[in-house]
Formats: sequence, structure tokens, C-alpha cells
Amino acid sequence: MVLPKKICDELNDLQIIEKSLIELDYFSCLFERYEERLLHYIKHITHVPNEEAEDILQESFINIWKNLNAFDTSLKTSSWIFRIVHNQAISTLRKSKSFGKNKKLEWKESFLDFLTDDTSNNFGELPIDKEHLTREILEQLPLPYKEVLVLKFLENMSYDDISDVLKIPEGTVATRINRAKKAFAKLASRQGISIF
Amino acid sequence: MKNATNLIETIKKQGLKPVPKWYFIFKKAMIYLVFFSAVVLGALAFSVVLFSIQQTDFNILGHLTHSKLEFFLSLLPFAWMLGLLMAISLSIISLRQSPKGYKFALSKLIGYNAAISIILGTIIFMGGGGQQLENAFAIHLSLYESMQEKKVKLWSMPDQGFLSGQIITAQNGDLKLLDFNKQEWSISYKQAFVAPIVLLENGEKIKIIGKVKGPHAFEAAEIRPWDGRSLKNHNGVWDKK
Repeated sequence: MVLPKKICDELNDLQIIEKSLIELDYFSCLFERYEERLLHYIKHITHVPNEEAEDILQESFINIWKNLNAFDTSLKTSSWIFRIVHNQAISTLRKSKSFGKNKKLEWKESFLDFLTDDTSNNFGELPIDKEHLTREILEQLPLPYKEVLVLKFLENMSYDDISDVLKIPEGTVATRINRAKKAFAKLASRQGISIF
Repeated sequence: MKNATNLIETIKKQGLKPVPKWYFIFKKAMIYLVFFSAVVLGALAFSVVLFSIQQTDFNILGHLTHSKLEFFLSLLPFAWMLGLLMAISLSIISLRQSPKGYKFALSKLIGYNAAISIILGTIIFMGGGGQQLENAFAIHLSLYESMQEKKVKLWSMPDQGFLSGQIITAQNGDLKLLDFNKQEWSISYKQAFVAPIVLLENGEKIKIIGKVKGPHAFEAAEIRPWDGRSLKNHNGVWDKK
């Protein structure tokens, strides 16, 4: 049985995990708390349609359930969950023959924000009407670049959190983001978009 | 709501249970066990490498007229160096598998693991562990060529100018020497440099650089103690070593 939102809202992630180990129904709180965010993430990374993304999410949460006792409290719950979902998404992506064929994605405008955000450096003003091209460019990037850009600018994760999700050192995260931005800018300039 | 219901129903229907906590604790313990074992093995290997280098007469290279590089390479304790590399690699791999292992850059992992093995290995070497381990290998592994065997082989090449053995008699610039192959040699050392530590006494083990002058006759240019130090014990008797 899925628990009412009111009960879930009173609990933090760790409490939900602890209670789930005693009563399975509490696990629905964790699922519902992250469902929307994770579906967006899966779709940004894999370009699969909504139904397939839901299947990936379902499989991921079954893995999370099986590994609930492995949860490391030194990690943020979100990082741990994203890690498992990320791995499941990549695994499905590698198995899928239809990978890349369906690129109709839902799009978050926040990605465009990073291009105009002063703190994200390297990128200047980008006209909003170039959104479609920008989306196309992101899709052309290699997975290691795409995943860091999505985690950083769509999921607003810190370098430390991205390091936990992708299981790579923070220095590598920084380097990869830097290179991803350059690769993005290069592809953008080919499409006639100047972002410097 | 629909997806959450599906998830809970699937878990219930398939009777899925979380993997028990002890499994993850055991897995983590095994990773650290492998890591610590690899560090200790690396340290032991390094202590033997140090011992081997200490025991090797690299200055002999200066007396060779050809194939110095080949000879130099033959002096290096490759098996132990390989063991050290393998142990460091294993410790890096196991540390990478630990819960926070991914936080370290590969260069740092290599640096830290090598440093731990080197520091620990140096301590073991200074405590005599390297020598003991080397000896244990020499005794228990027939295929293993010990440093002592290597050294004997190296200093039993009279045609190349290297001879060694135990003094039988020594007087008036001539000595009788029993080499490690039980051959007796007449050595002339009138023109030779004799290391101050060499006493030229009966039973003393020495190594000689020089040249063959005839059948079982050798002219010494340099005479040095076999072990680089006097091996006379407290009773004034030469060690059998």
C-alpha cells in the first residue's frame, strides 16, 4: 500500500529507509519523493520515451530496495539513489538497440540558465529562441560530458555530489565539466550559436 | 501514485527482500583485508628489494669490459620488484573498491600505496626482516635463486676477473684460496689493493678482482671482504655464513 503524502512528508530520507526495512509500504515515500526528478534525469541521459524511463526507474528502485542495507549514511540519500538510477540507466542504454532513436525529450529551461549564469563561466548570453539547437547540441555530446552537465546544471548538484553519483574523484568532475562546456561551445559555434 | 503502487506490488509479489546487512559488512571487511594484506606483502617485497640491493656489488660493473647493461639488469631483483608492483596494484584495486575509494585520484592512490609499502618495507628491512624472508625463500623454494647463490655465481668467474672463497693460508703476498666450487687457487696479491677491513686470516671469506695467470693461479688487483664487513664473531672465529 502506498502511504499518504502527509505521512511521508513528516519523515526525512534516512527515517524512510529505516522504516522501510521494517514496513515495506514506507518505501513508496522514497519513490514518490524522487520519482519526477529521476524520470527527468533518466530521459536526459538516455533519450528514452516516458514509458521506458518509468521501467528503468522501477528496476532502479527494486535495486535500491535490495541494497537498502548497504546505504552509507556518510552519503547524501539523493546521491546514493541517483547513483543506482544512473547505473541502471547506463546499463539499459548499453543493452538497448533503440538507443538514440527517440530524442523527443521534455526540456527544462534551467539548463539554459546555466548558459547565462555568471558562475558557470565560459558561457555568455544565449537567446532563448536557440533552445531547440541547444538541446540538440547536448544530445550530441558524449555520455561522460552529457552526464556531468545534466547533473551540474539540471540537477543543481555540487561537485561532491556528482563525485558520489558517478564514483569519480571531484577533480575529475571539475575537469570533465570544463571539457564538456568547451565541447558544448564548439558544437554550438558550428550551429552558429555564439556563447562566448 | 500509480508507479509507486506498481513498485510496492512488484516487490511484494516477487517476495523481494533487502540483502542482509552482514553481507555488506563482510564484503567491506574482505576489501580491507585484501588491502592490508597487499600493503604488508608490498612492504615485505620492498624490504627484500632493499636487502638485495644492499647485498649486490654494483661497483663490479666498473671492472667489466663489455655488456655492462646486461650485467646490471641481471643483478636487479626482478622477481621481488615484480612482487612489489603486483602488491601495490592489488592494494590500489582493493582501495578503489572501498566505500570512498573513488574519491582518490589514481595518481594519489598510487602515491599513497607506494609510500606506505616503502616506509613499512624500510622499517622491516632495518629490522632484518628482508634478509630473513630472503633466506626463508632460499631454504624452502628449490627454484628460487637466493642473493647468496647469485653472489657466489657472480664472484665465481675467474675468466672474467672475479674470484671468491675462503682463505686457507696467507703469507708474504701469496695466499691459498678454496673457492666456493671447492677448487684451490694460488693467489698473488703483492700489487693488490687490500681493503683495510680484510685481515687475510685463515678461514676468512674474501672476494677478489684480478686476472687468471695460469691453471688455478690468479693475480689479485683488489681484495675485499666477502660480506662487506668483518664476520669474525666474539670468539675470534670466522662465521660460516
